[in-house]
Amino acid sequence: MEFLLSDDQLTLAEGVKDYLAGTHGPEVLRRLDEGSNRDPTIWQGLVEMGLPALLVPEDQDGLGLKLLDAALIAAECGRSCLAEPLVDTAFVAVPWLTAKGDIADLAPIVSGEKIVPLAHKINGWVADGDGASLQSVDPLRNLTVAPADATDDPHLLNLGALMSAAQLVGIADAMLEQAVEYAKVRKQFGQPIGAFQAVKHHLATATVALEFAKPVVWRAAQAMDDGIDSAPVHVSHAKLAAGDAALQMAETAIQVHGAMGYTYEVDLHFWMKRSWALIGAWGNRAFHMKRVDGGVIGGSLDIGPAHTFA
Amino acid sequence: MDLNYTPEQQAFRAEIREWLADNVPEKPLLTLEGEEGFHQHVEWERKLASGNWGMVTWPKQYGGRGLDLIQWLIFEEEYWAAGAPLRANQNGIFLLGPTVMEYGTDEQKARFLTPMANGEVMWAQAWSEPDAGSDMAAITTKAVRDGDHYVITGQKTWSSRASFADWGFGLFRTEEGSKRHKGLSFILFDLNSPGITRRPIRQLHGEPGFAELFFDEVRVPAENMLAGQGEGWNVAMATAGFERGLMLRSPGRFQATAKRLADLYRANEENTSPATREAVTQAWMGTQAYAYNTYSVAAKILAGGKIGAEASLNKIFWSELDRSMNRSAMQLMGAAAELAKFADGSVNQWLDGYIFSLSGPIYAGSNEIQRNIIAERFLGLPRQGAG
Repeated sequence: MEFLLSDDQLTLAEGVKDYLAGTHGPEVLRRLDEGSNRDPTIWQGLVEMGLPALLVPEDQDGLGLKLLDAALIAAECGRSCLAEPLVDTAFVAVPWLTAKGDIADLAPIVSGEKIVPLAHKINGWVADGDGASLQSVDPLRNLTVAPADATDDPHLLNLGALMSAAQLVGIADAMLEQAVEYAKVRKQFGQPIGAFQAVKHHLATATVALEFAKPVVWRAAQAMDDGIDSAPVHVSHAKLAAGDAALQMAETAIQVHGAMGYTYEVDLHFWMKRSWALIGAWGNRAFHMKRVDGGVIGGSLDIGPAHTFA
Repeated sequence: MDLNYTPEQQAFRAEIREWLADNVPEKPLLTLEGEEGFHQHVEWERKLASGNWGMVTWPKQYGGRGLDLIQWLIFEEEYWAAGAPLRANQNGIFLLGPTVMEYGTDEQKARFLTPMANGEVMWAQAWSEPDAGSDMAAITTKAVRDGDHYVITGQKTWSSRASFADWGFGLFRTEEGSKRHKGLSFILFDLNSPGITRRPIRQLHGEPGFAELFFDEVRVPAENMLAGQGEGWNVAMATAGFERGLMLRSPGRFQATAKRLADLYRANEENTSPATREAVTQAWMGTQAYAYNTYSVAAKILAGGKIGAEASLNKIFWSELDRSMNRSAMQLMGAAAELAKFADGSVNQWLDGYIFSLSGPIYAGSNEIQRNIIAERFLGLPRQGAG
């Protein structure tokens, strides 16, 4: 029993974080927003880091890493508000295709030639697909109408929900950092607004929710890696905890930014809108609440002190 | 990350489970906050000690089993799953004990830790004063050196367990004219020393769970000081860290509440609302999140890490979760919620639980203070009044 992210895992995630911080800052989001939302050079950079190969089995020329490793990197993608469809293709489609035995598509994914638009019934849209286009609140999301034959595969749904939860904790981290930095420099009444308890307490409250959502996400990733029966409940718990924490953080961050937060000019809106998009994606709050409810009240899960890791 | 218990950990779980099944009292004890109930709980502490379960993480030489934090968590899970009583000596074993382990001399460890683990000496805390609550650095009760003694004069209040406990610990001003955090020392004292007057205070539920303490030239041997004279603030902050951080409120206790709440929901399903149903599900989610976080912190400590301002995140989380769970139970019970005892004479544990949960966001550093700590030390926001 060791609930601990390894040095290797943290080092890998830190590497991606540093790379994205250096190459994918807010100025890039603005450039993409004014252009076509996607940039082959950004995608190529991610491919050169080997990220599409992360979850591809080693016998298919991949790195053969685990969902927990990918979840940590998905969180970094959220932190940088990455627009390219890396998480969908590399961390959702790859393990789904591998589980189904569809290994033919893995090689072009590893080489970066192929992205995999995911059509699941629960969404009603496809991200980075080729149908008629839909407009998302998130200016950097390319949504299209879902095809009639979209799958309802629960494994795909769980992977999508897990990786959304992972991105959401990274997005929330980024919004917190932006709000804290703003609160340190914005002065009113002769002092930084971050010195006022009303502002501090808002941020502290949102921080508590976020910090207690993170271990739930890592636990859900590990539950899927271990293939335990209760994994869907843990995924739903993760989606709820991360979604609620991110929404609370978004509302807190805009409040701390004041009128500046209500503009397109402050960077915050990119992350806020991504959080709204992912909170509803891959099963909304009611869907996931129902699944946890089935475990806790419905009795399909052992609960109580002796069942922490049931 | 490995979320499977080793065979040794499973065997340990089975061992404590069996001992608890044989020894946990069948009927709930009277409340720990009243005199008779306190003595029942002291008997339970001694029963635990007889099985060498008093404080499993302490070294064997001080009455422990030398177990690690994961084994401690397993112990706590089984303890609360078995419905075992509250710990009468929690101020001692969870707060003072780890502090003595870190700052005490070998002589102090032998003198204080062993009787604590054995359930022989019950401890009260004595932090607050009438004018030093959240602002603990405003302490004025003084301890003046006189030969090989300190002479204490002043007043403490909200002193948990002091109505019935044997010994107390707290911060005292040992340098005349010193200000704020400086000049404070951490002193342990016999509550039966001449010059100490205890005035029990009735808590919200009517029982004297805490007391005021009046010190009138109380002579305490100098060897009862922990660490050096004037170093008390740092020692006390370490105690507060243990309290808020890991030991005082293990997840098992809250997981047991969440499980009971789900049972209560199923028994009252006709009289409920979707919001309450969701709150019951949230209770499980919150207690599990708290448990994962605790396992994670324990693993970090085992890998050589320390608890910092994260302890304040914990304190806010468990105290507000506990209040929320007990509130949901009160809502589920409807008209029966107000009954202190039911028709069969049994105590309304949910009412007790709700009342007690209201103290959580106040004691061990109010949640407002914790939010300040998070904002300033975890997030790096400026202190109030900073230009």
